[in-house]
Amino acid sequence: MSVLTSGEFWAFVGVVAGVYTILTLGLQIEFGYAGLLNFGHVAFMAVGSYTMAILVVKSGWSMWLAAPVAVLASSVAGVLLGLATLRLRADYFAIVTIALSEIVRYVATNEDRLTGGSQGTINLAGAEEASDYNGQWQRFQDWFQEALHLGSKDVAMLLLVWAAALVLTALVALSARTPWGRVLRAIREDEDAARSLGKNVFAYKLQALAFGSALAGIAGLFYAWQFAFFSPADFAPLLTFFAWMILILGGVGRAWAVPVGALVFGVIFAGTRFFEFAPFTWFDSAERAYLRLMVIGLVLIGLILFRPQGLLGRREELVLE
Amino acid sequence: MSALLEVHDVVRSFGGVRAVDGASLDVEAGSITSLIGPNGAGKSTLFNIVSGFLRAEAGTVTFEGRRIDRLPPHRIAQAGLVRTFQTARALARMTVLDNVVLAAPRQPGERLLRNVVGAGATRRREREVRLRAQELLALVRLDGHADELAATLSGGQRKLLDFARALMTEPRLVLLDEPMAGVSPVLRGELLEHVVSLREHHGVTVLLVEHDLEVVMGVSDRVVVMSDGAVIAAGPPDGVRSDARVVDAYLGVEA
Repeated sequence: MSVLTSGEFWAFVGVVAGVYTILTLGLQIEFGYAGLLNFGHVAFMAVGSYTMAILVVKSGWSMWLAAPVAVLASSVAGVLLGLATLRLRADYFAIVTIALSEIVRYVATNEDRLTGGSQGTINLAGAEEASDYNGQWQRFQDWFQEALHLGSKDVAMLLLVWAAALVLTALVALSARTPWGRVLRAIREDEDAARSLGKNVFAYKLQALAFGSALAGIAGLFYAWQFAFFSPADFAPLLTFFAWMILILGGVGRAWAVPVGALVFGVIFAGTRFFEFAPFTWFDSAERAYLRLMVIGLVLIGLILFRPQGLLGRREELVLE
Repeated sequence: MSALLEVHDVVRSFGGVRAVDGASLDVEAGSITSLIGPNGAGKSTLFNIVSGFLRAEAGTVTFEGRRIDRLPPHRIAQAGLVRTFQTARALARMTVLDNVVLAAPRQPGERLLRNVVGAGATRRREREVRLRAQELLALVRLDGHADELAATLSGGQRKLLDFARALMTEPRLVLLDEPMAGVSPVLRGELLEHVVSLREHHGVTVLLVEHDLEVVMGVSDRVVVMSDGAVIAAGPPDGVRSDARVVDAYLGVEA
């Protein structure tokens, strides 16, 4: 149980929850506001991580320039997906997005020369060359830690991720309250009605994808900075569904529900790692890893049964037709 | 003088069935025109073509002298031709007020960045639009429900909401798709009054689709009758009622 009381461990859990918050904010815009069923969200996170790392390692860019360009690349990828597939009906769109995210992952796995292949970013510059995209970020993090007299690097990262996550949450919450956000909600409710009132539904869906994918790209940056190494396996479809779980857990259509959902998810997901009491001790650690997923599944089922609107959602919005 | 809306020789088929087969009609500015016909006559298809929700295979649709038959629905709405739906399309999880406010044209804040750059204009327009929406809600006597979710409204109230929303777009022509369908007799009278007041007080031209001739007799200046995808008669209500072809079409289907 000692790890459960270690600050370092919980700082790590907090960092991951922060990254998930940013990732899930993108889904909140796309699904919570515009009603787009995107099951390939993780692809845009991958585009963000890889674009940044490749530009730094292969093209020698400053990370501070590569990072915004990477976010832009994620956003553009979202628009391209939309242009190709938004004319499909909602359920077909959902299927195509899963396929897209797998295509991105397979390309990253197989295009060794571009991405380092299945070995990940360690192989980015080729087998003999050192490939480090993270130096500038580490120096910034050290400086930040010094400046604030923080006890550890992990706490510095925790503060940085959550500063970004909260600013972005506020941004999403504010944008939802604008006339722009109102049009998105109208599209979620009834596309044809929105069309009949003069709203260009296609253009708004593209904008939602552009915004949502940019957020996924930002999540990708923090993910890359936190781990200093990543590989295609990090962007498996499971991550998209973690984001969906957080969205449902927190509440669909509420920006501030996202950080709450991400924290609850993070604590459950990490906490279940240390179920070192019966009945969990009946199983070995590998089996326990699967039990964690089951526990999370049960929590989600319980939530759907007893609080289908999520922790912060409005029930009336769910029961009314 | 040319009419406000001109539909000329429009054709549309669905898998071999010609739902609309060379239909033509005019709607004069300032009139209330009713498009009637038995079920399956092609009224709704024609209606969807005029409002841009369906493409015509042949023929032209002209609104205020401008071709609109290749325009998407939102552009047609922006041009001043707004439609309602047979079953009212309330945006259920938005407030009644937001349903109406949404429909306002010229809100710069519908571009995301205009809420940051030039936010003043967005706020000013929002104030204007909210006042106007309150007025329209008062007109259809839904002002007491402004802050409730539209999902809480009854079917009849949703029709009224649709109506207020359509007016909010500042239209010159309103297409009403069976506004009386599924509405209680009491509310029918109220809706008909609103239709008449559209022209009287708002200077809006009305084209309404209805399958029951009697419902629209009293309010229509002109009745256009469709059967089997084509227009078979058009004229003042009394003349149309006694037209042998119209009697045939109705009896022929119902017999």
